[in-house]
Amino acid sequence: MLEHLSAGGQGFMGQTNPPFMSGVPELLLLRLLEQREMYGYELVKKIRLVTGEAISLGEGVIYPVLHSLERNGALRAKRKKVDGRTRVYYSLNAKGRKRLDRLQGEWQRIQSGISAALEAPGNA
Amino acid sequence: MRRSAFGELQHRLLRSGISPVHIRRITDELSDHLEDLRFEALANGATVKDAHEEAKFRLGDQAEIADRILARTELKSWPYRHPHVARIYYPLAYVVLLTATPVFVGMANSTKLARWGVALMLSGAVTAGMLLCMQLAIVLT
Repeated sequence: MLEHLSAGGQGFMGQTNPPFMSGVPELLLLRLLEQREMYGYELVKKIRLVTGEAISLGEGVIYPVLHSLERNGALRAKRKKVDGRTRVYYSLNAKGRKRLDRLQGEWQRIQSGISAALEAPGNA
Repeated sequence: MRRSAFGELQHRLLRSGISPVHIRRITDELSDHLEDLRFEALANGATVKDAHEEAKFRLGDQAEIADRILARTELKSWPYRHPHVARIYYPLAYVVLLTATPVFVGMANSTKLARWGVALMLSGAVTAGMLLCMQLAIVLT
């Protein structure tokens, strides 16, 4: 299990992670919510599963990210009663899709840049 | 073990200006999450005590969660997000309200006010007439 992935990006790589890491929690959440609506606990489990447990959340820190995304209009929250319990399900809306596209693009650009730097001869 | 488990977190967030709507919902969601984690641990064979401890550990430190929430300024109530605007807006709103309330109340009860106004004027005129008569009586006698 890696260090906790925080809402603001701190903690993912210690306290001095570069700013480009700050969008990772949002990126993962938006990507998962693109497929279907989910609630917090379900999202954390799914993140563990799809990342092969490479990224493990301090599970409570997911909620500030979700609320922030909702507040900024990227997500929609809906209360649903399931098996006698009320859950808050989050789903992606149009603004969230745009944000996901932007974050995905940024992430791929960073990823290819780092890969190129690692694969360049003489950089080992 | 519901919201009471997050009482300290709630108070800290409230004191720091996080919107009560978000506080209520986040603590509800954290409580549900904690319960899910507890059930998961129990299903994996943990004892009740161990399941509770494991759930708390996995959910994370409340102080850290609070820090993460407080770092999100968009979750704060608007007077905390724009304190300068609030400092101007609130006094201005009170002045407008204090001035406008009697006007609107008067407009809503214009018939009653007119009746009272006429009654007051009539009583004033009668009183003035009586005082004049008394004055004249003193002067003429």
